[in-house]
Amino acid sequence: MSKKKCWIIIFITIALNVVMVQWTVESYLGREYEKVLIFSAIGVVGAFIAFFAYLNWRKREYTQSSKD
Amino acid sequence: MTNNNKKGRNRKESPSDMVNLMGNVEQKDDLTYNRRAFLKSAAGVSIALGLSTVPFSVRAMMGMAEDENERVEIAHMDQLPKGESLTFNYPTDNDPALLVHTMSGELVAYNSACTHLMCPVFYKKETDTLLCPCHKGYFDVNNGHPLEGPPQRELPMIHLEVDANTIYAVGRSYRHE
Ligand code: FES
Repeated sequence: MSKKKCWIIIFITIALNVVMVQWTVESYLGREYEKVLIFSAIGVVGAFIAFFAYLNWRKREYTQSSKD
Repeated sequence: MTNNNKKGRNRKESPSDMVNLMGNVEQKDDLTYNRRAFLKSAAGVSIALGLSTVPFSVRAMMGMAEDENERVEIAHMDQLPKGESLTFNYPTDNDPALLVHTMSGELVAYNSACTHLMCPVFYKKETDTLLCPCHKGYFDVNNGHPLEGPPQRELPMIHLEVDANTIYAVGRSYRHE
């Protein structure tokens, strides 16, 4: 995965998670608890994806710069 | 340009122009606010947003375990002529509710905390609507859905049963048509 892809993935997860927070709160207030679980699961998966994309970016960013 | 021709805030200690050329590069800022720091914060924001949904799902799991379908006596039919309403609590003592005998002769009940900011909702006989006085929210008395004003969600509907002239609350749908 290139560094650029990591950037893109992280920004996509931000957009995704903003939407998921909104939907989770909305269904929590409507007491639609099954939906809360689904949206929040997606949010957590999004957080993990962002984290791994970040780790990957870090690996590439810093190994490359130590070479040159 | 020598130092003397510059405005005060741009003047640097050094008399050498070559050094002063670099004056606009603040090394400290450059190390703090750069592309890498930006990506790190972006990743942090994304992770924080994703994880912030977790408390809701924990509460949701606790909420799913609750069972709230008790049959509770509310009132007698003769206490409630057409166009009248009365308050009660359902399903717990902390959930205020409103029982309405509408102008068209139907019995309906809703939790009366407004879905905007929880002010109590009243039945307005003249217009046959539910009114929240706080920010002028109106709800349809037949289905509890918002008609006007700030509320966005419907009022939770309480299911009723009439048995030998006594009105019972038998359940509730939080989201409904
Ligand atoms: S609290 Fe009911 S309209 Fe604001």
